Amino acid sequence: MTSMPVARRRRSRPVWRNTVVGWSFLLPNFIGFAVLTLVPVVLLFYYAFTSWDVFGGAEWTGLANFRQLLHDHSFWTALSNTVYYTLFHIPLTLAASLVLALLLNRKLRAVAFFRTVAFFPYITSIVALAQVWNMLFSPGYGPINEILRAVGVHHPPGWTTSADWSMPAVILVGTWREMGYYMLLFLAGLQAIPTQLYEAARVDGATAWQRFRAVTLPGLRPTTFFVTVMLTIGSFKVFDLILVMTNGGPGQSTLVLSQFIYQKGFVENQFGYASAVSIVLFVVCLLVTVAQFSVNRRRNA
Amino acid sequence: MKRSIAVVLGAAATAISLVLAGCGSGSDSSDSSSGPVTLTLAGWSLSTTPEFKTLADGFHAAHPDVTVQLKEYDATNYDTQMIADLAAGKAPDIYVQKNLKNFYTYQHGKQLLDVSDVAKGLGDKVGGLSDYQLGGKTYAIPYRQDSWVLFYNKDLFGKAGVAVPDGSWTWDDYVSAAKQLTARLKVAGSKALGDYQHTWQSTVQGFALAQTSGADLTSGNFSYLKPFYTRALDLQSSGAQVSLGDATTNSLTYQAEFGKQQAAMMLMGTWYIATLLAQQSSGDADQFQWGMAPAPQSDKSTTGTSATPVTFGDPTGLGINPKLGKGKVAAAKQFLAYAAGEDGAKALAGIGITPADSAAVTDTFFALKGMPTDDVSKFAFAKHDTKPENPVSQYTAGLQNVLNDLHTAVMSGSKPVDAAISEAQSRAKNEVLNK
Repeated sequence: MTSMPVARRRRSRPVWRNTVVGWSFLLPNFIGFAVLTLVPVVLLFYYAFTSWDVFGGAEWTGLANFRQLLHDHSFWTALSNTVYYTLFHIPLTLAASLVLALLLNRKLRAVAFFRTVAFFPYITSIVALAQVWNMLFSPGYGPINEILRAVGVHHPPGWTTSADWSMPAVILVGTWREMGYYMLLFLAGLQAIPTQLYEAARVDGATAWQRFRAVTLPGLRPTTFFVTVMLTIGSFKVFDLILVMTNGGPGQSTLVLSQFIYQKGFVENQFGYASAVSIVLFVVCLLVTVAQFSVNRRRNA
Repeated sequence: MKRSIAVVLGAAATAISLVLAGCGSGSDSSDSSSGPVTLTLAGWSLSTTPEFKTLADGFHAAHPDVTVQLKEYDATNYDTQMIADLAAGKAPDIYVQKNLKNFYTYQHGKQLLDVSDVAKGLGDKVGGLSDYQLGGKTYAIPYRQDSWVLFYNKDLFGKAGVAVPDGSWTWDDYVSAAKQLTARLKVAGSKALGDYQHTWQSTVQGFALAQTSGADLTSGNFSYLKPFYTRALDLQSSGAQVSLGDATTNSLTYQAEFGKQQAAMMLMGTWYIATLLAQQSSGDADQFQWGMAPAPQSDKSTTGTSATPVTFGDPTGLGINPKLGKGKVAAAKQFLAYAAGEDGAKALAGIGITPADSAAVTDTFFALKGMPTDDVSKFAFAKHDTKPENPVSQYTAGLQNVLNDLHTAVMSGSKPVDAAISEAQSRAKNEVLNK
């Protein structure tokens, strides 16, 4: 860190003035945030304890929504599907993006081109992605199954049209879509690792694998932590991809929590109940993230 | 420096006041005096759905002092947007009940004015009126009543040498015709299949509910679905129709499947007539001879042109927003009476829409360019007992969601019919009917 000259404060007036200036710069954004995000989120906690159905008053029903949740089979299906998605999506994306970053962190010809290519899926419209992947996955005419049949798989999976394979298909597309973005974060992390460390390791006779274990991974720890937290939250609230790819089907095989919330709230107009489910999703995300932070802190200590 | 703070704070204060002004709902200053009245009417996809403008213009011609302005909504998210607008007090004076599924939500939420007096004036010619009656009062007036019929491609039938439907078909006749068509069309070198069943749950469940005696959606007993699913699966596995999986993953549209001659038969609502006519004249659909026949029946008792075939379909109705100005109520009710009455029916038939009073307009309708002229088509259009797809109840929306999961699970082959039905029944009992 470079040392900064310490400013002498003679009077408190400029400090106060700076605070006001700071706040006034913050204010336009904060108003938008408060009106569009903060107030609705606070209201959500109130609606979760009511039977609000958009029209008319929200009647206070106490814990009735949460009691209903406990016995709602669909809610548990949605929760376990969400966990299923998360458990596979996080490690797969983490590994894929790290490998991509390592591959593209060397002096290759046209490395910028390949980095751009890896980033493409992330900036492509998700509806277009889903449409094309669905066509690729199409059980009867899709190229994926054509290839599988050509190499001797007689009964290729039904992908998004089969209850057993729909979730793997969605996870695959989700991983493919997001790995470019996290690759970028890993690339930034890799370039922040001082090259002297690698040189020193080489002088000590460390193999490539040892250098990776002893220098790269520890050097990447802050990035890995950040990526894991972002992936966790992203996986728990996965919605758009599933909505456009399978719409939760076939049956309820890809129904996830955020889609369940959407269905109860905006399709069946049970906004109170949907709010209660949202709180559960919020608490799940919060607990997992808090756990990750505490594990990370212990490791750093 | 001081000055700039003041400027920034001033700008922020202005922004806040603007936001607040935007949020405050301007109260409608409607005068109760007679004279020019402007009504607002909700519609969707106005450029491709001419019915709203037709009604608005037709009504204005008959009542020059009343102007009807259209307010456009998104067709797919119509109910979501309308519910939000109603809750915010920003909805138009008259709004459409796009289907029966959400009628209960609007009525129960006190978002529909009692229009029993309009209903009384209309008599019993208007189809679908009773679907909007709750507790002896009427809350919306149907202006169109679509019914599901069997569309078929006369050219493909001729090519395959299969006899066209004559109104005597049961579902077994339909299944064997579909298989026969598929096989013979293949021999004749055509890629077309026997039939196309669109991805909607109603293509199976609508008929099952309408044609099975004693079937009741809100009973939570869905065993009536079984024979209908068994047949649909049979058609799918024998290759006589595209499987649900291929239809969803390739985003097939029913307009292209029938209009581009990919299938010789298709069950669809009568709203498709207008689309098919328009697409044939614009070139979006191929040029071919087509016809309509009554939907296949469960048994012989309702087949033949002397009986009344049973089918299904939801009416499309108009309701009045209770928040409209006092001075507008009379004009709004007049508009509803016009839309559902004979004048409105004729105007709608002129653009290929099936009005609620369909018997009055059969001749107008079949005079349209491109319409088939055979008697079976006319019979299919004019005569049917149309049961609601979504019988009105507080459970309908929830039950239909459960049944949609059943539809995708069964048609994708993920679950056998019996298991899917018993799962749907237990879900209906534990998640919907217990509220």
